[in-house]
Amino acid sequence: MARVAPDLPLRANLSALDNIALIPLYQRHYSAAESNRQAQQFLEQLGHADIALLRDPDMTAAQRFIAKLARALILRRPRLVIDHPGAMLYDVPYPSFIRQLAAQEEIAGTWEIYDFSWNQTLYNQALHPE
Amino acid sequence: MNKLHFKVGLFAAASLLLAGAFIVYLLHARGFFEDTFHLQLAASSADGVAPGVPIVFSGIEIGRVTTLGLNDAGGIVIHAEFLGRNAKWLKQNSTFTLDKPLVGGARIRVDSPDLDAPALPDNSTMLLLTSDISKEIPLLVERVKAILANVEHLTRKDGEINATLANVKTVTGRMTGEYGVLEGVLGSPEKARAVTDSLDKTRALIGKLDSLALKVDGMAGKTDRWLFAPDGVAEQTRESLAQVRLMLDDAQSSLKKADALMTNAVAISADVKGGTQDIARLRAEIDDAVRKANALVNEINKKWPFARDPEVKLP
Amino acid sequence: MSFLAASIESLGAKVAGWFTVGYGMFAFLAKAALLLLDRTTWNRATFDVVVKQVYFTAVQILHVFLGYALVISWLIITIILSTARDFGLTEFASEMTIRVLVLELLPFLTALFIALRSGSAINTEVALMQVNNELDALAHCKVPPMQFEFLPRLIGGVISVVTLASLAGLLALLMGYLAIYGTNAAGFAPFTQTIAKIFDFKIMAGLLVKCALFGLAVTLIPVTAGLETPKKLFMVPVSVLRGMMRVFFAIVAIEVVSLALKYV
Repeated sequence: MARVAPDLPLRANLSALDNIALIPLYQRHYSAAESNRQAQQFLEQLGHADIALLRDPDMTAAQRFIAKLARALILRRPRLVIDHPGAMLYDVPYPSFIRQLAAQEEIAGTWEIYDFSWNQTLYNQALHPE
Repeated sequence: MNKLHFKVGLFAAASLLLAGAFIVYLLHARGFFEDTFHLQLAASSADGVAPGVPIVFSGIEIGRVTTLGLNDAGGIVIHAEFLGRNAKWLKQNSTFTLDKPLVGGARIRVDSPDLDAPALPDNSTMLLLTSDISKEIPLLVERVKAILANVEHLTRKDGEINATLANVKTVTGRMTGEYGVLEGVLGSPEKARAVTDSLDKTRALIGKLDSLALKVDGMAGKTDRWLFAPDGVAEQTRESLAQVRLMLDDAQSSLKKADALMTNAVAISADVKGGTQDIARLRAEIDDAVRKANALVNEINKKWPFARDPEVKLP
Repeated sequence: MSFLAASIESLGAKVAGWFTVGYGMFAFLAKAALLLLDRTTWNRATFDVVVKQVYFTAVQILHVFLGYALVISWLIITIILSTARDFGLTEFASEMTIRVLVLELLPFLTALFIALRSGSAINTEVALMQVNNELDALAHCKVPPMQFEFLPRLIGGVISVVTLASLAGLLALLMGYLAIYGTNAAGFAPFTQTIAKIFDFKIMAGLLVKCALFGLAVTLIPVTAGLETPKKLFMVPVSVLRGMMRVFFAIVAIEVVSLALKYV
């Protein structure tokens, strides 16, 4: 299970790209160039290739969320859980934001979202905009 | 090109290069690339010699003592090692002398009077002499000079003694004048005696210096027989001894002058019994000179192995 | 009576605390040493981080450090030489200079320099990583923090202290030569002799081990102190304070032990 959660921050003194590239670099022992290429690919899939060189404090909440999500995706684990997205995406209507991301063609698998029950209505609105 | 990596690489390369150069230099300095030259020194006493004691030639270390032990006959054998490049200073007619300077550790001095002499072969055995007197004479001369300067300072034309004497004269002039009555009040027999005491001491010292000078004379004759050293050294030794004797004479005459002055002073003050400040100071200074001269006599007696005379008792 | 019991108890607590700290440090060191033997540690990524660490610890401050070493060496050499001349001990001056500067003072000052600059930074960074959960995040991603964060710092620290101390030592040797013999080559032979006398194999090995231990102390202790930090932001200064105190004691202890081994 890979988690995207507020209590799993990015490494503060590394750029978004380095944060993501750590995983192929140390887990699968790819070369630095190859790891960077893979990380960049994930960021592009999520439509945020421009945040590659930003560090954690320089990113907006949405950009930080994208970086964390890319890091979770590159782990290639069977389940992906988004934990309390409201705590991470406080400045965007997050149910629809996540839906948009998940709708990308290359993204496979199911994302599970854990959130407070009183936010249920937000998701309903996102599913049925009318 | 990664700038960070380039800088670190440059740093690493420079450091490694320097470290490598230093290690090669160190190996060269420690004679890793040369043969080691061995030498045995036979000595009657190993007092002060220990592994690591340096062997010096013209004041520069050329080797060190590695081990020392006894041979079958009970003699002491000192093993020393030299670097190959330093072995050229060791000749068949080299002398090895054990030096124990006043400051610093013991060391073995090599003298090679004739550098054209055939070189000493590896693993040869030489005799180790203990320190000879010719080494200590320069030191002695220095001491004599210092004391002489002191005596001279004391008895110079415008020196304290003369000034004091002038003062005494004025005082006594007054005393014998209209205030002559006061002499009994001002003087005290103790003070006058103190002055005479120091005078006696000075005289005794002059006697000692006389006998010492005689002894030095006698010694200069003896030294020729005592020293096995080549002519040059003996010549030098005799010169040094003559110098010492001259200086002693000088000191003696200075002290005699002081003595004469003192006699004067005492003659005058005997009238007055004037135990003034000046007389007290003069006395202190004479005492100081006497003490220094004593130390000199002591020193000469200590330094001079042949001149040990138990009868010389100092004032 | 209760006062006595209380003070004994507090003493016991302190001793136990020291043991815990010491044990934690050595356990960490053992783990790091075991990882060094692991073949997977020796990859390009670790190497890159080591290079980065060496850059920040040594290369970036090289000019400042060498300037500082130059001034200190020049001062000490001048003081020793003039004092030796006053007392007529000039023949011992060059040996004294080299012993004091190259063997003792410069490695010690290098360690202090690196401790103040990089040790405190490492301590703060590790403490902040610990407080911010960054280490948990790395653990979640199965990126080993030891290989990625800590081991390169230890290696970098050791390399930096050893190199900087050697460079400063070489500089001091050069300064010493210039101060004693001036710019002519005449003093080369006696100087070589003095160097040969001082630097035997034992001294060189001892110097190297001492510098390596200094390098380890100024990185290992901050890392372990940072890892001990409770997850509260206000504890970060306390952690740095404790870590730096321990670094200072460790440096002094290493120096004292090395002196004792050499001269006692």
